[in-house]
Amino acid sequence: MSLIIENLTKTYTNNVKALDNLSLKIGKGMFGLLGPNGAGKSTLMRTIATLQSPDSGSIIFNGVDVIEDQISLRKKLGYLPQSFGVYPNMSADELLNYFAKLKGISEKNERKALIDKLLEITNLTDVKKKNVSGYSGGMKQRFGIAQLLLNNPELIIVDEPTAGLDPAERQRFLNVLREVGTNSTVIFSTHIVDDVKELCNDMAILNGGRILRHVKPVDSTNELKNKIWTKSVQRDDLESAENEFNILSSNYNVDNSLTIRVFSDKKPGTDFKKAEPQLDDVYFIALKEDQNNNS
Amino acid sequence: MFLNIFFNEIKYWFNRPALYIYTVVFFMIGMLISAASAGIFDAISVTTGSSKIVNSPMAVLGAFAAPASILIFFYPSIIGSTISRDYESQIHTILYSYPFSKVNYLTAKFLSGFFIVNVVIVAIFIAVSLGFILPGTNQDIVNPFDLKSYLDAYFIIILPNLFLYSSIIFGVVTFTRNVYVGFISVIIIVIIEALLEGLFSNPDNRFIAALFDPSGLSASNYYTRYWTVSEQNELYLPLGELLIYNRLIFISFGSLVLLSIYKIFSFSQNAFTFSFNKKDSKRLTKSNFGGITKVNLPKITIDFSFKNEIKKLWNLSNIDFLYIVKSWSFISIVILALLFNLIGLSELGNVFGTPTYPRTWKMLQAGATFTLFINVATFLFAANLLHRSRTSNVNQLIDTTPTPNWILLGSKFLAIVKMQLVLLSLIMISGILYQIYNGYYDFEIAHYLYELIFLNLILYVIWALLSVLIQTLITDRYVGIFIMIVLFIGIPLLSLAGVEQSIFKYGSGPGYAYSDMNGYGSSINRFFLYKIYWLSLGLVFYILTYLFYFRGLPSNFKERISIAASRFKGKYPKFLALLMLIFLSSGGYIYYETNILNKRTSSKERELQTVEWEKKYKKYENYDQPRIVSVKVDVNIFPKTLDADASGTYVMVNKTSNVIDSLFLNHGSSISTFEFNKENDLVLEDTLYNFDIYKLKQALNPGDSINLFFTVKNKPNTMIRNNSSVVSNGTFLNNTAFPSFGYPGGELRDDKTREKYDLPPNKLKPHPSDSTALGNTYISKDADWIDFETTVSTSKDQIAIAPGYLQKEWIEGDRRYFNYKMDSKILNFYAFNSGKYEVAQDKWNDVNLEIYYHKDHDYNLDRMMKGMKAALEYCSTNFSPYQHKQLRIIEFPRTAGGFAQSFPNTVPFSEDIGFIAKVDDSEEGGNDYAFFVTVHEVAHQWWAHQVIGADVLGSTMLSESLSEYVSLKVIEQVNGKKKMRKFLKRSLDEYLTSRTFERKRENALMYNDGQGYIHYQKGSLIFYALSDYIGEKTLNKALSKYVKKVAFQEPPYTTSIDMVNHIKEVTPDSLNYLIKDMFETITLYQNRVVETKSEKLDNGKYKVDIEFKVSKYRNNEKGRAFYGEEERDSITYQTDDMKKPEYSVFLEDYIDIGVFGEDNDENETELYVKKHKISKIHNKITIIVDQEPIEVGIDPYNKLIDTNSEDNRMKIEK
Repeated sequence: MSLIIENLTKTYTNNVKALDNLSLKIGKGMFGLLGPNGAGKSTLMRTIATLQSPDSGSIIFNGVDVIEDQISLRKKLGYLPQSFGVYPNMSADELLNYFAKLKGISEKNERKALIDKLLEITNLTDVKKKNVSGYSGGMKQRFGIAQLLLNNPELIIVDEPTAGLDPAERQRFLNVLREVGTNSTVIFSTHIVDDVKELCNDMAILNGGRILRHVKPVDSTNELKNKIWTKSVQRDDLESAENEFNILSSNYNVDNSLTIRVFSDKKPGTDFKKAEPQLDDVYFIALKEDQNNNS
Repeated sequence: MFLNIFFNEIKYWFNRPALYIYTVVFFMIGMLISAASAGIFDAISVTTGSSKIVNSPMAVLGAFAAPASILIFFYPSIIGSTISRDYESQIHTILYSYPFSKVNYLTAKFLSGFFIVNVVIVAIFIAVSLGFILPGTNQDIVNPFDLKSYLDAYFIIILPNLFLYSSIIFGVVTFTRNVYVGFISVIIIVIIEALLEGLFSNPDNRFIAALFDPSGLSASNYYTRYWTVSEQNELYLPLGELLIYNRLIFISFGSLVLLSIYKIFSFSQNAFTFSFNKKDSKRLTKSNFGGITKVNLPKITIDFSFKNEIKKLWNLSNIDFLYIVKSWSFISIVILALLFNLIGLSELGNVFGTPTYPRTWKMLQAGATFTLFINVATFLFAANLLHRSRTSNVNQLIDTTPTPNWILLGSKFLAIVKMQLVLLSLIMISGILYQIYNGYYDFEIAHYLYELIFLNLILYVIWALLSVLIQTLITDRYVGIFIMIVLFIGIPLLSLAGVEQSIFKYGSGPGYAYSDMNGYGSSINRFFLYKIYWLSLGLVFYILTYLFYFRGLPSNFKERISIAASRFKGKYPKFLALLMLIFLSSGGYIYYETNILNKRTSSKERELQTVEWEKKYKKYENYDQPRIVSVKVDVNIFPKTLDADASGTYVMVNKTSNVIDSLFLNHGSSISTFEFNKENDLVLEDTLYNFDIYKLKQALNPGDSINLFFTVKNKPNTMIRNNSSVVSNGTFLNNTAFPSFGYPGGELRDDKTREKYDLPPNKLKPHPSDSTALGNTYISKDADWIDFETTVSTSKDQIAIAPGYLQKEWIEGDRRYFNYKMDSKILNFYAFNSGKYEVAQDKWNDVNLEIYYHKDHDYNLDRMMKGMKAALEYCSTNFSPYQHKQLRIIEFPRTAGGFAQSFPNTVPFSEDIGFIAKVDDSEEGGNDYAFFVTVHEVAHQWWAHQVIGADVLGSTMLSESLSEYVSLKVIEQVNGKKKMRKFLKRSLDEYLTSRTFERKRENALMYNDGQGYIHYQKGSLIFYALSDYIGEKTLNKALSKYVKKVAFQEPPYTTSIDMVNHIKEVTPDSLNYLIKDMFETITLYQNRVVETKSEKLDNGKYKVDIEFKVSKYRNNEKGRAFYGEEERDSITYQTDDMKKPEYSVFLEDYIDIGVFGEDNDENETELYVKKHKISKIHNKITIIVDQEPIEVGIDPYNKLIDTNSEDNRMKIEK
């Protein structure tokens, strides 16, 4: 099971190059797509999900050319866009039934059994007769998962699904995703590094329409062993520290001092402490390198 | 703060292309309207010549208010969106926390939208005023620019309407936060307006309609409805009381709406909602500390087989269909459509207040009110369905499912068709309910279904196909709907710009017409061919729609084109080719039939031909021709093949005192042969105008005769063209298909148009005093009285009828023959009928009465028999004996017309004009027109077939007015005097309304140009009043003397002068003024009761004081009023507090004064009705009556021609 993307390019009418000759190979399991806002994550996902056509390049899923034969991909696809609406005045039950029909489940009984099960998984059984348009953010997102699973998809694309969810909802969501992701390819975009850390066996960092890094999360943190240092500085000393060190991130502490994280092959100063590398560091290093290359 | 928000909004609009697009579009609409009315298309279309000034104040109101009222469709997107934009962009979440007040926010939003609409209106104003003076317009019908006309229109009509509608729409959008709801309310408002304006056509509802029509147009119409051409050209919009009240009502309503918006509005995050079932609120907590759930989904089968895809298509279309029928917009459309239909049903075929039996075709006819609604619903829901997934933002979920485009598009289209079927079935349901309500149980379900599903649905589908294409190509659904509405309204108007052929106008084509006698007849082939033609184009559009179907997130139109190109593969090119083949071949066939096989002439070409015809042949107008004295003709009618042929012989005599050397033969375009029994040369054969000239080798001396043997048959019928008037049941042919002699006229009438083509002003007809012009009757130019014999054949199962008496009837093969012969001289005016008839028979004295009717149409045979008898009785008693021994009424299909026509002893009578009338004989019931029309037609046996006027002005008075008079008198005998007022009022209203449309001139009755409203409506009023003044007996005696003098006379023929002289003879001197008022001039009254009171006297009687005004004026032929006369000046009345005096023509008139009471059943009783001599404008009179008076009146029965018949009576205040 593999998704092979080659030389994908897409330029919008306002001359923004959303995808810039992008190539990527994704296998089975959870794949995290990490990148800042506007990096091209959504464009990439929409293009894979057959919603947009690229200017050039190809996407092959399990040997099928997605751009040529959209229907074949859609048969295997489960897609949850970054934001979506629903038809007003329709309950979860009705809407799922509608989507099940669209996805080709022709047997009424099968549809019913499947929908009931999905509602149970997503914990929506109690509210299945309520209009989805009235759902809270988390419920709606769970509904999104339910509709996504209707056709037993082999390729699942979820675009920033955890944005705006409370911690419990987020956790629940990720768990469900994890459960369904074991037997299929799940592409999962986010700008929250923790999401990837917790879930993904493979990931890429995307910015400006290009893949900056394509690594396994575990390997990437291992590479940084002994290269991440922290230190507490006063707010007023931050500027000078920025000039002096390669700062990846800085966070306020409760006492108005800051903890900075610095990327360096050797200990940058005596008052630095060695820190355990985190996925955040991988992310910031990638972005920073890209920035330096461009300038 | 107010100015800040206001200018911010204005700035927003001026930076948007929408404002400029609206302005340009409406500028063009405005200019098109005014320029077209001023004749800018004259070069390509018919000349707009007229005596009407096209930029008179009233015309300006029309030209200015029309585009302004279309603008209402944009109010939601202008005025509504000022506020809804804040919601859509979610900026309200921030904005509403800012420190400004409700008043500032709302007024700034409202006024900015209001201002922007006015920008467009100013553009319309400039466009309309410029359009009138554009080069190429006809400046003879345009007055200099007059600002007051525009200001009146703006301030009295347009601005208050704008205020009203924009406040309603602003309110709706503010509270629903949804422009769409605003849009729906616009549609509802427009429909309500149309409803109220429709109400206005019924005189009884005018007051209410004027008061409550929100457009104000009914109110202004209330004052201007009887304006003559000259008044329309000159007068400004009168600011009458009703108009003022109407405007005040709606301005206050608008203000009230604004005020309540202010009251209810709050800066809240959520839209205002109505909730019908309030539930108890409770505290909500969530427990979603979820554990890990095992995802173990049940097994499913995913099936993309074709069978299953079709099932899916059906299921999905049901979901879309449910969405439509559950929506409020659909429900409102249904309610309004049913309401309209109900009104349509109740007014159905209402003639003189009498409805018809609810035959199925009538129900279907009333269902035509649904047309607008079905189309509006189609446009609306095509837009909603195609944009729905994107508006709800659910498109990304749907578009990534493996459902192919043809199913997604197909399900929406199917849902629209299902909706159309639901609306169409409502026509049937309401029709059947109406039939049941009326106790009519002859349900023709098959007929309903055939017409609704087979005939009607095609057209709606054709529009739906275009609708989905437009909505697919255009990303803004409102713009898409607007385009559809413009196309729907605009396509029929293309004829004005010279595009006349249906094959160039989407969806157009000949209609069909149903008759109980003849079904849909042969019109149906033509109908289907055109529909196939358009349907194939519609399906081509559907393929385009499929190719451009919006799926996913294409970023621009270029991308959509490349997507469409990539979808154009597989079977689609083949489908497209096949449909184009059907489209082009059916179109080609139609074009071949209508343009090549049969020369088609546009109205412009016809106009030019009329000019050429006159220039070429008018010179032969005064050449002497022999007169036809005998006609013997054999006619064969073939109801199965719809053919007819005839062969016959005319015997003609030179009745002049000169020799005749040339014959000018006029014939139709059918296949014909002509052979004279005297040697001749065909010196001219004009195949365009079908006019031939034969030069006789030996000239015809005075008294000599010549025979013409002719044959005529129709050109072969084709699939879409029936070249004969034969129908399968109920054929009605007349002798216009046969040859005639001399220049028959048929010239352009409008003098301005004539001038353009260098033709002298039209004399129309000669004046009756022109003794040289009395050689012909107005019915025939080449004959006086003739002998007539005919043999008519038809198919075995039909009866054929023609004037004369049946001599012989026989069957030969599958043909049935009838030989008719007339035993006395008749006019050269005869007809042939053939159908599967039932026959009702009766007798009046020695005269055989027969009615040939369609088997289901036996409702009113008794009434018609009674009418025949009553008319024969009245006319033979009062005027002269009936000249025939037989009288027959023959029903013919309504598809041949809705009239009855009197031929010698034969009256073809449309099924529409009495056979299915449902007469109510009670006091409230309308007129029994089955009876009335019968009497009128039978009276023509005297007034046309005995007395026939010369072909000069006023001759129709001798036939039509007198026949109307006879029917009024007979009705009066049957119903009594009291019921007459209803009839007279209606005639009066019709006369006063029709004369406002006069484009040429209105002459006095005895010099009339043949206009129906003069010789029918005015004529009947005048003769009825005259009989009241000088007495029915006296009048009839004079008429009888006149008949004796002129019946069956040879030329010179009689004229209206002759008849009026006979009437003058019996009119007393005191009433001599009547002759002048009634016959010689156009004289109108303005009589009204000013005040009245009554008081009980000691002796038990009642004293009634009546204060009333009488004023009389005359109109010239253009409708300009005047009061003075050569011999006498006008009289005036003025009090101190009157700014201007009231005028009247000199009065010495006798007018009815009436006092009315009530009997125990609350029926009106006459306490006093008597003619009083009136010589002043302002009068006071006291009358003593025996019983308690309820009401008084001046001319209470509306016998006189009074421009306001409403104020002639007044209730006495208690």
